[in-house]
Amino acid sequence: MALLGKKFKLLEVFDQATNGQYQLLPSRFAALDDGRYLLSNEVGEYLVVTRPDLESFIRKQVPANTDFYHDLKSKHFLFDDDSNVALDLLALKYRTKAQRISQFTALHIFVISLRCDYTCQYCQVSRQTDDKHAFDMSEETANKALDLVFKSPSPAIKIEFQGGEPLLNFALIQYVVNEANRRNEKHQKDLQFVITTNLSLLNQEVLEFCQAHDIHLSTSLDGPENLHNTNRPRPGKNGYQLTVNGIKKAQSFLGHNKIGALMTTTEKSLPHVKSIIDTYLENNLDCIFLRPLSPYGFAIKNQQAHKYDVDRWFEFYKEGLDYVLEINRQGYQFVELYTQLIINKLLSPFSEGYVDLQSPTGAAISAIVYNYDGDVYASDEARMLAEMGNKKFRLGNVHTDDYEGIWLSDTLLDTLECSLSESIPMCNDCGFLPYCGTDPVYHYATQGDVVGHKALSGFCNKNMKIFKHIIHLLEDDPEARKILLTWVRT
Amino acid sequence: MKEDVIIFDASVFSIDTVKRALYRFADKCSFDIQLKDNEITVKIHTDSSDDMVARIKNEVLDQDLRDTLAKETANIRTLILANAFSNTGLIQ
Ligand code: SF4
Repeated sequence: MALLGKKFKLLEVFDQATNGQYQLLPSRFAALDDGRYLLSNEVGEYLVVTRPDLESFIRKQVPANTDFYHDLKSKHFLFDDDSNVALDLLALKYRTKAQRISQFTALHIFVISLRCDYTCQYCQVSRQTDDKHAFDMSEETANKALDLVFKSPSPAIKIEFQGGEPLLNFALIQYVVNEANRRNEKHQKDLQFVITTNLSLLNQEVLEFCQAHDIHLSTSLDGPENLHNTNRPRPGKNGYQLTVNGIKKAQSFLGHNKIGALMTTTEKSLPHVKSIIDTYLENNLDCIFLRPLSPYGFAIKNQQAHKYDVDRWFEFYKEGLDYVLEINRQGYQFVELYTQLIINKLLSPFSEGYVDLQSPTGAAISAIVYNYDGDVYASDEARMLAEMGNKKFRLGNVHTDDYEGIWLSDTLLDTLECSLSESIPMCNDCGFLPYCGTDPVYHYATQGDVVGHKALSGFCNKNMKIFKHIIHLLEDDPEARKILLTWVRT
Repeated sequence: MKEDVIIFDASVFSIDTVKRALYRFADKCSFDIQLKDNEITVKIHTDSSDDMVARIKNEVLDQDLRDTLAKETANIRTLILANAFSNTGLIQ
């Protein structure tokens, strides 16, 4: 720090600013689709500008006392003799944004069992077997994982139970919840639990346990009955019925906000975005996450991911978002979560915790996965890759490695280092960078390299399209803007 | 496969600027680059039906601005970061 500080001839820099001329503050830009540009700074403040304005800004030719000058100054793109305080302010904002890094892992995923009663074709990890011991997590493994959970410096900790179908090993969920609560008497963290479940096994005992411990449920709902059952085959072909019955039961027993649903997009979903959203409305869910198809696991083996490209997915997303906005216009609050995430990044200084859109990668910084066998992975995608036989992102095992061994593992440090988008070609001067992220596991899975060439990257292509679209809505569609602003979390 | 040639004046654009601009088209084109007699000659090979010459020329102009911006603000950027992370224990 001291060394860094000495390199700067601070006074000179400030003196230049008093010559009646302004100094540029660090910023980046990206072309939007219509000849305009998005100009953004380190902390994500932005302006939409024309090419001539952009050029005159960078060439320091913007006359003071114009509106444009004022905008540039108040949003911290330049400073002059009476705004030197801008530097401190920017530093403060950057620190707020970077807080996530120092808070470290907040989400801990326990893979309770790989067994599942479904045979979803896109599922990367599940096993169809009655052999409980082969693919269930043991108490011993869970205890070791809890040791690591409580070493995390984060003041808020979320433990998420995943599978396969975690309710097939409900006894262990009960054990972990009780044990974590017992340990937390000493640690006093803000502790939350989530069970990710297909709800087939939701019964009174489970509901009462969830109620007693304030546990949230997260389920999968892919759309109307036909689509859901094709995507998620189950013996008896009654997956849809089981799921919506479960949602109803959970809503009435636990409360409306204690259950949410996630959808998986497959090629079959693409023509049906409206009826997918209708299904969510019919089931009294107040938000949807229009997710891209994951390129991992069986999805890659099935060549599913290649069957439709980002452009087709984007049309699906755009049509869906239009429909969601229409629903809002009719007076019903219904949120698309991916858009909400980006709106918050654009309009609020608080970093969000979605692992896909973070730099450095959220892997292991905001999420860590304890597999049923004790293996520790940097993210859910990393364990899916491992189930396909590639353990590149395995950080260690709870039975053989300690906290330091896992957190300081070369795998993690290398991945973090490579994933600082500030140093990635193309990202380093991209105007979308403050809102974007890196996805090393995705780039490794698709390009064999954790950084990846962004011109060839579906991740980059998808994000650029979404950013451009959302900025277009904010700038050019006042009605949409009004709705989107209500999605900003305060 | 189409072929086109663009020539840039090396006293106006640095070869780094040109290369950084070309990098963005790796999904659509491949390139041969030559620097000779103060001229940067870029040979473009592409299957795309877009007007790649116009797009690349624009991108080089953009990249030139990006490089100016980055150069002008490099010091101050480090200063802000150092300031932001002081007292967090992340930098010693
Ligand atoms: S991934 Fe693409 S959109 Fe995101 S910062 Fe990098 S270049 Fe920009």
